[in-house]
Amino acid sequence: MARLHVARYLLGSALTGLWRNRTMTGGAIVTTAIMLITLAGFLAINDTLNQMVTALGRKSNLIAYVRDEARPTQVMAIIDDLRTRPGVGEVQFVSKEDALAIFESRFVDQRDILDVLQSNPLPASVELRLNDPSVVPDLAQELQTMTTVFDDVVVPLDVVEEVIGISNLARVAGSVIIIALTGVTLFVIVNTIRIAVFARRQEIEIMKLVGATDWFVRGPFVAEGAIIGGVGAGIAAIALVVLYAQAAPVVTRIVSFLPVSTDTDFVRNLAVFTLLVGLIVGSLGSYFSVRRYLSV
Amino acid sequence: MIVLEDVHKVYPNGTQALNGVSLEIPERDFAFLVGPSGAGKTTIIRLINRDETVTTGSVFVEATDVTRLRRRDVPQLRRRVGVIYQDYKLLPSLTVRQNVEFVLKATNEFDHLSDGLVEETLATVGLTRRTNHYPHQLSGGEQQRTAIARALVRRCPILVADEPTGNLDQESGWETIQLLVQLNARGTTVVIATHNRMLVDTMRRRVIEIERGRVVRDEPEGGYYG
Repeated sequence: MARLHVARYLLGSALTGLWRNRTMTGGAIVTTAIMLITLAGFLAINDTLNQMVTALGRKSNLIAYVRDEARPTQVMAIIDDLRTRPGVGEVQFVSKEDALAIFESRFVDQRDILDVLQSNPLPASVELRLNDPSVVPDLAQELQTMTTVFDDVVVPLDVVEEVIGISNLARVAGSVIIIALTGVTLFVIVNTIRIAVFARRQEIEIMKLVGATDWFVRGPFVAEGAIIGGVGAGIAAIALVVLYAQAAPVVTRIVSFLPVSTDTDFVRNLAVFTLLVGLIVGSLGSYFSVRRYLSV
Repeated sequence: MIVLEDVHKVYPNGTQALNGVSLEIPERDFAFLVGPSGAGKTTIIRLINRDETVTTGSVFVEATDVTRLRRRDVPQLRRRVGVIYQDYKLLPSLTVRQNVEFVLKATNEFDHLSDGLVEETLATVGLTRRTNHYPHQLSGGEQQRTAIARALVRRCPILVADEPTGNLDQESGWETIQLLVQLNARGTTVVIATHNRMLVDTMRRRVIEIERGRVVRDEPEGGYYG
């Protein structure tokens, strides 16, 4: 019963406070919403770039061509070792016969070429599918040093390195922007609550003098901050879901190679994250705004 | 029971407010703190409520060493000590009734909002007909009685008042003191810091005179001047 009274008091005081400073409250909610939409936008871009890197990683096959004179046991030992390496997905041995069969199936029209040759000219190979494209350069270099086993190592290094570079840059820039936007949101909420606290400083002083606990004084303001953050984030989350539903198919159609997430899980998670950020930033901002006035 | 033991208080600006004050106010006592402005009366009141802290010495309220009280335990002390100020410290946007209810909410005593305690308290201070008035619609005496009701509603065993009649005319001041006397008769310990010479001389109660931060006189039934 007492808890219900306290909850009703906190919410009632918070709503009264917000209504009293309604212009400021509205401004803070709109700013929070804009900041959080922008923040979520950057997170979506980051996610797309990460997916791109992963997709490229999955596609990036590193192929090492085996010398004809290499001993099979030696090749098998290397394959077993490669399978234990981090970032390495699948390792497949393609024998000379397999290579020929593949060639024949792919180039049905040009089988005459093979008929001219007396023996199978295609080398055996080890094909690696990689989960993490960042391991490609080191792995390629290592295989290239095994000159007694491998003849040549083919690797799509340029594209991989470039995508990793862009992705890292985007991640750093994204993090900086996310921190900056969170800071701005915090600043706006903190200042809104400070004005509310200043307007009610007499009330706070009396509360403290009659024996109210710090939490009781702080509670309504923390609730105010949480409401500003929560409502702002709610608007941002709704806008996000609507915008994403409209924009994702269009982007996918225009730039088909971009792996833009169109699944609802991603947008839902992003919306929930936005709501959480709004609530946490709002509550924490208010918590620290009131602290200064509690030393009565 | 309130006990001050060799209390010194120096404010951050260097002002020495108290210079070795020791005094004892037993339970149910009624005492006046008198002395010129700047003598240290208000500092004593603020130390009792832990609105200020001592520089050296000890302050005990009901066996609690106030000087060693942890910050989170201060609200418990303040719920036992009601303070009445010269400027009443009422919230202008709340009615008389709401001002009294406000302290019950602030001290998490919501159950008393509906059990008739507020009405009973307002009747005790004679404000039954003014419950829905705002502070600016009340006389100084009525505002002070609202402030007393606010302390009373918490059933504080100790009431300390800092110049409670300072802003009141003679009649309202007298009514306020009579109210405090009634509360004392019911068992509340009352300490009043005042400049009101006529009041102290008429009451003939315990008088503690403070001068330059020291107790210079402590009489069980004294006047304003010794």
